[in-house]
Amino acid sequence: MTATVANDMSIFSLVAGASLPVQAVLLVLIITSLFSWWYIFIKLATIKRAETNAEDFEKAFWTGGDLNKLYDGLGAGRRKPQGMASIFEAGFKEFVRHKQQVRAEGKMDVSDVMEGARRAMRAAYNREMDDLDAHLPFLASVGSVSPYIGLFGTVWGIMNSFRGLSSVAQATLSQVAPGIAEALVATAIGLFAAIPAVIAYNRFASTVDRLSVRYESFMEEFTNILQRKS
Amino acid sequence: MLRTYEKEISWKAGGLALGVHVALLAALLISFNWKAAHPMMNVTEVELWDSIPSNSPSPPVVKIEPPQPSPEPVVKAPPPEPVVKEEVKEIPKEESKADIALEKKKELEQKKAEEKAVKLAEKLAADKLKKEQLAALQAETRQDDMRDADKQAKDKKVAKESNDALKKLQQDALAEGDQQALSAKAAANAGVVDEFKSKIQAKIRGNVNKALCGDGNPELRFEIGLLPTGELSNSPKLVKSSGNAACDEAVERAIIASEPLPLPSDASLFSQFRNLKLKFKPND
Repeated sequence: MTATVANDMSIFSLVAGASLPVQAVLLVLIITSLFSWWYIFIKLATIKRAETNAEDFEKAFWTGGDLNKLYDGLGAGRRKPQGMASIFEAGFKEFVRHKQQVRAEGKMDVSDVMEGARRAMRAAYNREMDDLDAHLPFLASVGSVSPYIGLFGTVWGIMNSFRGLSSVAQATLSQVAPGIAEALVATAIGLFAAIPAVIAYNRFASTVDRLSVRYESFMEEFTNILQRKS
Repeated sequence: MLRTYEKEISWKAGGLALGVHVALLAALLISFNWKAAHPMMNVTEVELWDSIPSNSPSPPVVKIEPPQPSPEPVVKAPPPEPVVKEEVKEIPKEESKADIALEKKKELEQKKAEEKAVKLAEKLAADKLKKEQLAALQAETRQDDMRDADKQAKDKKVAKESNDALKKLQQDALAEGDQQALSAKAAANAGVVDEFKSKIQAKIRGNVNKALCGDGNPELRFEIGLLPTGELSNSPKLVKSSGNAACDEAVERAIIASEPLPLPSDASLFSQFRNLKLKFKPND
Protein backbone atom coordinates (compact mmCIF):
# COMPACT_ATOMS: atom_id res chain seq x y z
CA MET A 1 0.00 0.00 0.00
CA THR A 2 2.93 2.29 0.60
CA ALA A 3 3.74 1.97 -3.09
CA THR A 4 0.53 3.75 -4.09
CA VAL A 5 1.20 6.51 -1.63
CA ALA A 6 4.69 7.01 -2.96
CA ASN A 7 3.38 7.42 -6.52
CA ASP A 8 3.54 10.92 -7.84
CA MET A 9 0.13 12.30 -8.69
CA SER A 10 1.00 14.17 -11.86
CA ILE A 11 -1.91 14.77 -14.20
CA PHE A 12 -0.40 12.42 -16.76
CA SER A 13 -0.08 9.50 -14.37
CA LEU A 14 -3.62 10.18 -13.18
CA VAL A 15 -4.99 9.99 -16.71
CA ALA A 16 -2.85 6.98 -17.58
CA GLY A 17 -3.99 5.15 -14.45
CA ALA A 18 -7.68 5.76 -15.08
CA SER A 19 -9.95 2.95 -16.22
CA LEU A 20 -10.91 2.64 -19.90
CA PRO A 21 -14.40 4.24 -19.70
CA VAL A 22 -12.96 7.18 -17.81
CA GLN A 23 -10.24 7.58 -20.43
CA ALA A 24 -12.87 7.44 -23.18
CA VAL A 25 -14.90 10.12 -21.40
CA LEU A 26 -11.78 12.26 -21.09
CA LEU A 27 -11.04 11.88 -24.79
CA VAL A 28 -14.61 12.79 -25.79
CA LEU A 29 -14.54 15.82 -23.53
CA ILE A 30 -11.19 17.06 -24.81
CA ILE A 31 -12.36 16.75 -28.43
CA THR A 32 -15.63 18.49 -27.58
CA SER A 33 -13.78 21.25 -25.80
CA LEU A 34 -11.42 21.73 -28.74
CA PHE A 35 -14.33 21.98 -31.17
CA SER A 36 -16.33 24.32 -28.98
CA TRP A 37 -13.36 26.66 -28.63
CA TRP A 38 -12.76 26.48 -32.36
CA TYR A 39 -16.37 27.48 -33.05
CA ILE A 40 -16.18 30.16 -30.37
CA PHE A 41 -13.23 31.81 -32.12
CA ILE A 42 -14.84 31.43 -35.56
CA LYS A 43 -18.09 32.89 -34.25
CA LEU A 44 -16.31 35.76 -32.53
CA ALA A 45 -14.64 36.71 -35.79
CA THR A 46 -17.67 36.29 -38.05
CA ILE A 47 -20.13 38.08 -35.78
CA LYS A 48 -17.73 40.93 -35.30
CA ARG A 49 -17.36 41.16 -39.07
CA ALA A 50 -21.16 41.10 -39.53
CA GLU A 51 -21.50 43.98 -37.05
CA THR A 52 -18.86 46.13 -38.76
CA ASN A 53 -20.40 45.29 -42.15
CA ALA A 54 -23.84 46.42 -40.94
CA GLU A 55 -22.32 49.57 -39.50
CA ASP A 56 -20.49 50.40 -42.75
CA PHE A 57 -23.49 49.66 -44.94
CA GLU A 58 -25.89 51.72 -42.82
CA LYS A 59 -23.47 54.63 -43.01
CA ALA A 60 -23.21 54.32 -46.81
CA PHE A 61 -26.99 53.87 -47.17
CA TRP A 62 -28.09 56.79 -45.02
CA THR A 63 -25.62 59.29 -46.42
CA GLY A 64 -28.26 59.69 -49.07
CA GLY A 65 -26.49 58.65 -52.26
CA ASP A 66 -28.10 57.20 -55.35
CA LEU A 67 -29.46 53.69 -54.67
CA ASN A 68 -28.50 52.56 -58.19
CA LYS A 69 -24.91 53.57 -57.58
CA LEU A 70 -24.89 51.74 -54.26
CA TYR A 71 -26.30 48.65 -55.93
CA ASP A 72 -23.72 48.78 -58.73
CA GLY A 73 -20.94 49.25 -56.20
CA LEU A 74 -22.05 46.12 -54.33
CA GLY A 75 -22.25 44.09 -57.51
CA ALA A 76 -18.83 45.24 -58.67
CA GLY A 77 -17.13 43.96 -55.46
CA ARG A 78 -15.26 40.71 -55.71
CA ARG A 79 -17.06 39.24 -52.74
CA LYS A 80 -20.65 38.28 -52.52
CA PRO A 81 -22.31 40.93 -50.35
CA GLN A 82 -23.07 39.86 -46.80
CA GLY A 83 -25.48 40.87 -44.08
CA MET A 84 -27.46 44.02 -44.62
CA ALA A 85 -25.84 44.53 -48.01
CA SER A 86 -27.13 41.21 -49.29
CA ILE A 87 -30.66 42.05 -48.07
CA PHE A 88 -30.46 45.39 -49.86
CA GLU A 89 -29.13 43.76 -53.01
CA ALA A 90 -31.87 41.12 -53.09
CA GLY A 91 -34.62 43.64 -52.43
CA PHE A 92 -33.35 46.20 -54.91
CA LYS A 93 -32.73 43.61 -57.64
CA GLU A 94 -36.25 42.28 -57.32
CA PHE A 95 -37.67 45.81 -57.28
CA VAL A 96 -35.79 46.82 -60.43
CA ARG A 97 -36.81 43.64 -62.24
CA HIS A 98 -40.46 44.10 -61.32
CA LYS A 99 -40.34 47.70 -62.41
CA GLN A 100 -38.89 46.74 -65.79
CA GLN A 101 -41.53 44.04 -66.22
CA VAL A 102 -44.30 46.45 -65.26
CA ARG A 103 -42.92 49.03 -67.62
CA ALA A 104 -42.76 46.47 -70.47
CA GLU A 105 -46.25 45.22 -69.86
CA GLY A 106 -47.63 48.70 -69.32
CA LYS A 107 -49.42 47.80 -66.14
CA MET A 108 -48.70 49.68 -62.91
CA ASP A 109 -49.46 47.86 -59.63
CA VAL A 110 -47.44 49.17 -56.71
CA SER A 111 -48.51 46.51 -54.23
CA ASP A 112 -47.31 43.69 -56.54
CA VAL A 113 -43.89 45.29 -56.94
CA MET A 114 -43.55 45.93 -53.23
CA GLU A 115 -44.69 42.44 -52.37
CA GLY A 116 -42.06 40.88 -54.64
CA ALA A 117 -39.24 43.04 -53.23
CA ARG A 118 -40.37 42.23 -49.69
CA ARG A 119 -40.34 38.48 -50.34
CA ALA A 120 -36.85 38.67 -51.84
CA MET A 121 -35.58 40.62 -48.83
CA ARG A 122 -37.23 38.17 -46.46
CA ALA A 123 -35.46 35.26 -48.17
CA ALA A 124 -32.09 37.03 -47.99
CA TYR A 125 -32.73 37.89 -44.34
CA ASN A 126 -33.44 34.24 -43.52
CA ARG A 127 -30.23 33.15 -45.21
CA GLU A 128 -28.27 35.74 -43.25
CA MET A 129 -29.88 34.69 -39.98
CA ASP A 130 -29.04 31.08 -40.72
CA ASP A 131 -25.41 32.01 -41.19
CA LEU A 132 -25.38 34.05 -37.99
CA ASP A 133 -26.99 31.25 -36.00
CA ALA A 134 -24.59 28.63 -37.32
CA HIS A 135 -22.80 26.55 -34.61
CA LEU A 136 -24.78 28.15 -31.81
CA PRO A 137 -26.80 24.93 -31.20
CA PHE A 138 -23.51 23.05 -30.91
CA LEU A 139 -22.27 25.47 -28.26
CA ALA A 140 -25.60 25.19 -26.45
CA SER A 141 -25.48 21.41 -26.31
CA VAL A 142 -21.81 21.37 -25.25
CA GLY A 143 -22.69 23.79 -22.48
CA SER A 144 -25.53 21.67 -21.20
CA VAL A 145 -24.26 18.13 -21.82
CA SER A 146 -20.52 18.12 -21.16
CA PRO A 147 -20.86 18.52 -17.36
CA TYR A 148 -22.98 15.38 -17.39
CA ILE A 149 -20.41 13.50 -19.46
CA GLY A 150 -17.75 14.57 -17.00
CA LEU A 151 -19.94 13.55 -14.09
CA PHE A 152 -20.44 10.16 -15.68
CA GLY A 153 -16.69 9.66 -15.88
CA THR A 154 -16.29 10.75 -12.27
CA VAL A 155 -19.00 8.44 -10.98
CA TRP A 156 -17.51 5.55 -12.90
CA GLY A 157 -14.03 6.22 -11.55
CA ILE A 158 -15.24 6.56 -7.97
CA MET A 159 -17.26 3.37 -8.29
CA ASN A 160 -14.10 1.58 -9.37
CA SER A 161 -11.98 2.97 -6.60
CA PHE A 162 -14.55 2.05 -3.95
CA ARG A 163 -14.90 -1.44 -5.35
CA GLY A 164 -11.16 -1.83 -4.84
CA LEU A 165 -11.66 -0.89 -1.20
CA SER A 166 -13.99 -3.78 -0.49
CA SER A 167 -11.16 -6.33 -0.64
CA VAL A 168 -9.11 -4.61 2.04
CA ALA A 169 -9.72 -4.97 5.76
CA GLN A 170 -8.31 -1.63 6.78
CA ALA A 171 -9.51 1.10 4.48
CA THR A 172 -7.19 4.06 4.34
CA LEU A 173 -7.61 7.30 2.44
CA SER A 174 -4.49 6.59 0.43
CA GLN A 175 -6.22 3.64 -1.21
CA VAL A 176 -9.15 5.71 -2.48
CA ALA A 177 -7.56 9.08 -3.02
CA PRO A 178 -5.77 8.41 -6.34
CA GLY A 179 -8.90 6.86 -7.85
CA ILE A 180 -11.07 9.78 -6.79
CA ALA A 181 -8.50 12.28 -8.00
CA GLU A 182 -8.34 10.69 -11.43
CA ALA A 183 -12.12 10.49 -11.54
CA LEU A 184 -12.44 14.16 -10.69
CA VAL A 185 -10.22 15.07 -13.64
CA ALA A 186 -13.19 14.08 -15.82
CA THR A 187 -15.50 16.55 -14.07
CA ALA A 188 -12.86 19.26 -14.30
CA ILE A 189 -12.50 18.85 -18.06
CA GLY A 190 -16.28 18.66 -18.50
CA LEU A 191 -16.67 21.97 -16.68
CA PHE A 192 -13.80 23.47 -18.62
CA ALA A 193 -15.64 22.63 -21.84
CA ALA A 194 -19.06 23.70 -20.59
CA ILE A 195 -18.41 27.06 -18.97
CA PRO A 196 -16.92 28.88 -22.00
CA ALA A 197 -19.51 27.28 -24.26
CA VAL A 198 -22.41 28.58 -22.15
CA ILE A 199 -20.91 32.06 -21.84
CA ALA A 200 -20.16 32.21 -25.56
CA TYR A 201 -23.61 30.90 -26.46
CA ASN A 202 -25.36 33.54 -24.38
CA ARG A 203 -23.18 36.31 -25.77
CA PHE A 204 -23.55 35.22 -29.38
CA ALA A 205 -27.29 34.68 -29.05
CA SER A 206 -27.83 38.20 -27.76
CA THR A 207 -25.56 39.68 -30.45
CA VAL A 208 -27.40 37.75 -33.15
CA ASP A 209 -30.72 38.96 -31.73
CA ARG A 210 -29.56 42.55 -31.89
CA LEU A 211 -28.34 42.08 -35.46
CA SER A 212 -31.61 40.51 -36.54
CA VAL A 213 -33.57 43.45 -35.09
CA ARG A 214 -31.28 45.77 -36.98
CA TYR A 215 -31.80 43.84 -40.23
CA GLU A 216 -35.56 43.81 -39.79
CA SER A 217 -35.78 47.51 -39.11
CA PHE A 218 -33.58 48.14 -42.14
CA MET A 219 -35.97 45.99 -44.23
CA GLU A 220 -38.97 48.07 -43.09
CA GLU A 221 -37.24 51.33 -43.77
CA PHE A 222 -35.96 50.19 -47.15
CA THR A 223 -39.48 49.01 -48.09
CA ASN A 224 -40.76 52.48 -47.34
CA ILE A 225 -38.09 54.05 -49.51
CA LEU A 226 -38.84 51.66 -52.38
CA GLN A 227 -42.55 52.37 -52.04
CA ARG A 228 -41.90 56.06 -52.36
CA LYS A 229 -39.77 55.48 -55.45
CA SER A 230 -42.20 53.27 -57.23
CA MET B 1 -19.63 21.81 -41.17
CA LEU B 2 -18.19 25.18 -41.96
CA ARG B 3 -19.72 27.93 -44.05
CA THR B 4 -17.69 29.19 -46.97
CA TYR B 5 -17.14 32.58 -45.38
CA GLU B 6 -15.83 30.87 -42.24
CA LYS B 7 -13.04 28.99 -43.98
CA GLU B 8 -10.62 31.87 -44.08
CA ILE B 9 -10.80 32.24 -40.30
CA SER B 10 -10.83 28.50 -39.49
CA TRP B 11 -7.06 28.02 -39.23
CA LYS B 12 -6.58 31.00 -37.00
CA ALA B 13 -9.49 29.90 -34.80
CA GLY B 14 -8.11 26.36 -34.61
CA GLY B 15 -4.73 27.69 -33.52
CA LEU B 16 -6.34 29.86 -30.86
CA ALA B 17 -8.43 26.93 -29.58
CA LEU B 18 -5.32 24.77 -29.27
CA GLY B 19 -3.57 27.65 -27.54
CA VAL B 20 -6.35 27.89 -24.96
CA HIS B 21 -6.02 24.20 -24.15
CA VAL B 22 -2.26 24.33 -23.92
CA ALA B 23 -2.63 27.29 -21.58
CA LEU B 24 -5.05 25.32 -19.42
CA LEU B 25 -2.69 22.37 -19.25
CA ALA B 26 0.19 24.66 -18.34
CA ALA B 27 -1.93 26.29 -15.64
CA LEU B 28 -2.82 22.87 -14.26
CA LEU B 29 0.80 21.79 -14.18
CA ILE B 30 2.12 24.99 -12.68
CA SER B 31 -0.58 26.00 -10.23
CA PHE B 32 -0.99 22.56 -8.68
CA ASN B 33 1.97 21.09 -6.90
CA TRP B 34 1.26 17.59 -8.14
CA LYS B 35 4.26 16.06 -6.43
CA ALA B 36 3.50 17.61 -3.07
CA ALA B 37 4.35 15.44 -0.10
CA HIS B 38 1.23 13.58 0.87
CA PRO B 39 0.19 13.75 4.49
CA MET B 40 0.26 9.96 4.50
CA MET B 41 4.03 10.10 4.17
CA ASN B 42 4.37 11.95 7.44
CA VAL B 43 2.47 9.39 9.46
CA THR B 44 4.84 7.08 11.24
CA GLU B 45 3.76 3.50 11.58
CA VAL B 46 4.27 2.11 15.04
CA GLU B 47 4.28 -1.57 15.88
CA LEU B 48 3.93 -2.50 19.51
CA TRP B 49 5.87 -5.42 20.89
CA ASP B 50 5.61 -7.24 24.20
CA SER B 51 9.17 -8.44 24.15
CA ILE B 52 12.22 -6.47 23.23
CA PRO B 53 13.85 -7.78 20.05
CA SER B 54 16.50 -10.33 20.96
CA ASN B 55 19.01 -8.61 18.72
CA SER B 56 20.60 -6.66 21.56
CA PRO B 57 21.70 -9.45 23.89
CA SER B 58 23.38 -11.47 21.17
CA PRO B 59 26.13 -9.01 20.14
CA PRO B 60 27.95 -9.06 23.52
CA VAL B 61 28.14 -12.85 23.42
CA VAL B 62 29.62 -12.66 19.98
CA LYS B 63 31.86 -9.77 20.88
CA ILE B 64 33.42 -11.40 23.94
CA GLU B 65 34.78 -14.17 21.83
CA PRO B 66 37.01 -12.21 19.40
CA PRO B 67 39.42 -11.04 22.14
CA GLN B 68 40.08 -14.65 23.15
CA PRO B 69 42.16 -15.47 20.09
CA SER B 70 44.48 -12.64 21.14
CA PRO B 71 47.92 -13.66 22.53
CA GLU B 72 46.81 -13.81 26.19
CA PRO B 73 43.66 -15.88 26.39
CA VAL B 74 44.42 -17.00 29.97
CA VAL B 75 44.18 -13.47 31.30
CA LYS B 76 41.04 -12.58 29.50
CA ALA B 77 39.13 -15.78 29.97
CA PRO B 78 38.67 -15.65 33.79
CA PRO B 79 35.82 -13.09 33.74
CA PRO B 80 33.19 -15.77 33.01
CA GLU B 81 34.40 -17.76 36.08
CA PRO B 82 33.23 -15.44 38.83
CA VAL B 83 29.87 -15.13 37.09
CA VAL B 84 29.41 -18.88 37.27
CA LYS B 85 30.67 -19.10 40.82
CA GLU B 86 28.48 -16.30 42.01
CA GLU B 87 25.47 -17.91 40.50
CA VAL B 88 26.40 -21.18 42.12
CA LYS B 89 26.93 -19.58 45.49
CA GLU B 90 23.90 -17.40 45.40
CA ILE B 91 21.45 -20.20 44.93
CA PRO B 92 22.48 -22.17 48.04
CA LYS B 93 22.60 -18.98 50.11
CA GLU B 94 19.02 -18.21 49.33
CA GLU B 95 18.02 -21.75 50.06
CA SER B 96 19.94 -21.88 53.33
CA LYS B 97 18.37 -18.61 54.45
CA ALA B 98 14.97 -20.02 53.76
CA ASP B 99 15.97 -23.19 55.58
CA ILE B 100 17.20 -21.27 58.61
CA ALA B 101 13.92 -19.44 58.79
CA LEU B 102 12.08 -22.71 58.52
CA GLU B 103 14.24 -24.33 61.18
CA LYS B 104 13.76 -21.43 63.57
CA LYS B 105 10.04 -21.69 63.14
CA LYS B 106 10.21 -25.37 63.68
CA GLU B 107 12.29 -24.99 66.84
CA LEU B 108 9.77 -22.57 68.21
CA GLU B 109 7.03 -24.99 67.42
CA GLN B 110 9.04 -27.76 69.06
CA LYS B 111 9.49 -25.74 72.25
CA LYS B 112 5.86 -24.83 72.35
CA ALA B 113 4.93 -28.42 71.76
CA GLU B 114 7.22 -29.56 74.58
CA GLU B 115 5.79 -27.00 76.97
CA LYS B 116 2.35 -28.05 76.00
CA ALA B 117 3.31 -31.65 76.50
CA VAL B 118 4.53 -30.90 80.05
CA LYS B 119 1.58 -28.72 80.98
CA LEU B 120 -1.19 -30.74 79.39
CA ALA B 121 -0.25 -34.24 80.43
CA GLU B 122 -3.91 -35.09 80.88
CA LYS B 123 -4.76 -34.74 77.25
CA LEU B 124 -2.98 -37.80 75.96
CA ALA B 125 -4.68 -37.83 72.66
CA ALA B 126 -3.59 -34.29 71.98
CA ASP B 127 -0.13 -35.12 73.12
CA LYS B 128 0.02 -38.06 70.82
CA LEU B 129 -1.10 -35.96 67.90
CA LYS B 130 1.43 -33.29 68.66
CA LYS B 131 4.14 -35.83 69.13
CA GLU B 132 3.28 -37.28 65.80
CA GLN B 133 3.40 -33.81 64.31
CA LEU B 134 6.69 -33.25 65.99
CA ALA B 135 8.08 -36.44 64.64
CA ALA B 136 6.87 -35.54 61.20
CA LEU B 137 8.35 -32.06 61.41
CA GLN B 138 11.63 -33.38 62.66
CA ALA B 139 11.71 -35.92 59.87
CA GLU B 140 11.00 -33.14 57.39
CA THR B 141 13.75 -30.95 58.73
CA ARG B 142 16.15 -33.87 58.47
CA GLN B 143 15.10 -34.55 54.95
CA ASP B 144 15.51 -30.85 54.09
CA ASP B 145 18.98 -30.88 55.56
CA MET B 146 19.82 -33.93 53.54
CA ARG B 147 18.53 -32.27 50.39
CA ASP B 148 20.50 -29.15 51.06
CA ALA B 149 23.63 -31.15 51.51
CA ASP B 150 22.99 -33.01 48.28
CA LYS B 151 22.30 -29.80 46.42
CA GLN B 152 25.42 -28.13 47.69
CA ALA B 153 27.46 -31.14 46.70
CA LYS B 154 25.86 -31.17 43.27
CA ASP B 155 26.39 -27.44 42.86
CA LYS B 156 30.00 -27.84 43.79
CA LYS B 157 30.32 -30.61 41.24
CA VAL B 158 28.70 -28.41 38.60
CA ALA B 159 30.98 -25.56 39.53
CA LYS B 160 33.99 -27.83 39.33
CA GLU B 161 32.83 -29.17 36.00
CA SER B 162 32.25 -25.69 34.68
CA ASN B 163 35.65 -24.67 35.99
CA ASP B 164 37.17 -27.61 34.20
CA ALA B 165 35.25 -26.70 31.08
CA LEU B 166 36.43 -23.13 31.34
CA LYS B 167 40.00 -24.26 31.78
CA LYS B 168 39.66 -26.44 28.75
CA LEU B 169 38.14 -23.48 26.93
CA GLN B 170 41.11 -21.39 27.92
CA GLN B 171 43.49 -24.07 26.76
CA ASP B 172 42.09 -24.40 23.31
CA ALA B 173 40.39 -21.02 23.10
CA LEU B 174 41.54 -20.46 19.57
CA ALA B 175 39.98 -23.66 18.33
CA GLU B 176 36.75 -23.50 20.26
CA GLY B 177 36.26 -19.76 20.11
CA ASP B 178 35.03 -19.93 16.58
CA GLN B 179 32.67 -22.78 17.32
CA GLN B 180 31.25 -20.97 20.31
CA ALA B 181 30.82 -17.84 18.28
CA LEU B 182 29.02 -19.86 15.67
CA SER B 183 26.73 -21.49 18.19
CA ALA B 184 26.05 -18.16 19.88
CA LYS B 185 25.34 -16.64 16.52
CA ALA B 186 23.00 -19.48 15.64
CA ALA B 187 21.16 -18.94 18.91
CA ALA B 188 20.90 -15.23 18.19
CA ASN B 189 19.76 -15.94 14.67
CA ALA B 190 17.07 -18.26 15.94
CA GLY B 191 15.89 -15.42 18.15
CA VAL B 192 15.84 -13.03 15.20
CA VAL B 193 14.00 -15.54 13.02
CA ASP B 194 11.37 -16.06 15.72
CA GLU B 195 11.08 -12.36 16.20
CA PHE B 196 10.51 -11.68 12.51
CA LYS B 197 8.09 -14.58 12.25
CA SER B 198 6.02 -13.05 14.98
CA LYS B 199 6.39 -9.66 13.29
CA ILE B 200 5.08 -11.11 10.03
CA GLN B 201 2.17 -12.69 11.84
CA ALA B 202 1.38 -9.49 13.68
CA LYS B 203 1.42 -7.48 10.46
CA ILE B 204 -0.92 -9.93 8.75
CA ARG B 205 -3.15 -10.10 11.80
CA GLY B 206 -3.56 -6.34 11.66
CA ASN B 207 -5.08 -6.66 8.19
CA VAL B 208 -7.47 -9.49 8.94
CA ASN B 209 -11.11 -8.56 8.92
CA LYS B 210 -12.02 -10.34 12.14
CA ALA B 211 -15.73 -9.83 11.64
CA LEU B 212 -15.65 -12.51 8.93
CA CYS B 213 -14.34 -15.18 11.28
CA GLY B 214 -17.39 -15.46 13.51
CA ASP B 215 -17.50 -15.77 17.27
CA GLY B 216 -15.49 -18.95 17.76
CA ASN B 217 -11.75 -19.29 17.84
CA PRO B 218 -10.90 -20.82 14.47
CA GLU B 219 -7.33 -21.77 13.68
CA LEU B 220 -5.90 -21.68 10.17
CA ARG B 221 -2.56 -22.56 8.73
CA PHE B 222 -1.11 -20.93 5.66
CA GLU B 223 2.03 -21.71 3.76
CA ILE B 224 3.57 -18.70 2.07
CA GLY B 225 6.61 -18.24 -0.12
CA LEU B 226 8.60 -15.06 0.23
CA LEU B 227 10.99 -13.12 -1.98
CA PRO B 228 14.01 -11.33 -0.49
CA THR B 229 12.10 -8.06 -0.95
CA GLY B 230 9.41 -9.21 1.44
CA GLU B 231 6.89 -9.79 -1.31
CA LEU B 232 5.07 -13.03 -1.89
CA SER B 233 6.62 -15.34 -4.46
CA ASN B 234 3.35 -17.15 -5.01
CA SER B 235 -0.19 -16.98 -3.71
CA PRO B 236 -0.54 -18.23 -0.12
CA LYS B 237 -1.54 -21.87 0.23
CA LEU B 238 -4.19 -22.86 2.69
CA VAL B 239 -2.83 -25.83 4.65
CA LYS B 240 -5.51 -26.06 7.29
CA SER B 241 -8.86 -24.38 6.85
CA SER B 242 -10.81 -22.83 9.68
CA GLY B 243 -13.95 -24.40 8.27
CA ASN B 244 -15.26 -20.99 7.35
CA ALA B 245 -14.52 -20.05 3.74
CA ALA B 246 -15.07 -16.33 4.38
CA CYS B 247 -12.57 -16.43 7.23
CA ASP B 248 -10.01 -18.26 5.08
CA GLU B 249 -10.40 -15.67 2.35
CA ALA B 250 -10.14 -12.81 4.82
CA VAL B 251 -6.82 -14.16 6.10
CA GLU B 252 -5.57 -14.74 2.56
CA ARG B 253 -6.48 -11.19 1.59
CA ALA B 254 -4.75 -9.95 4.71
CA ILE B 255 -1.59 -11.82 3.74
CA ILE B 256 -1.64 -10.26 0.28
CA ALA B 257 -2.42 -6.83 1.71
CA SER B 258 0.49 -7.07 4.14
CA GLU B 259 3.08 -7.01 1.39
CA PRO B 260 5.91 -6.27 1.81
CA LEU B 261 6.35 -8.43 4.89
CA PRO B 262 9.08 -7.54 7.37
CA LEU B 263 12.30 -9.50 6.88
CA PRO B 264 15.57 -9.32 8.80
CA SER B 265 18.21 -7.15 7.19
CA ASP B 266 20.65 -10.05 7.39
CA ALA B 267 20.41 -11.71 3.97
CA SER B 268 21.85 -14.98 5.24
CA LEU B 269 18.72 -15.55 7.32
CA PHE B 270 16.43 -15.29 4.33
CA SER B 271 16.62 -19.01 3.58
CA GLN B 272 14.48 -19.59 6.68
CA PHE B 273 11.78 -17.30 5.30
CA ARG B 274 11.60 -18.64 1.78
CA ASN B 275 8.83 -21.00 2.78
CA LEU B 276 6.97 -20.06 5.88
CA LYS B 277 4.24 -21.99 7.64
CA LEU B 278 2.15 -19.60 9.63
CA LYS B 279 -0.59 -20.30 12.13
CA PHE B 280 -3.40 -17.84 12.62
CA LYS B 281 -5.99 -17.44 15.29
CA PRO B 282 -7.88 -14.34 14.15
CA ASN B 283 -10.02 -14.12 17.26
CA ASP B 284 -7.26 -14.80 19.73
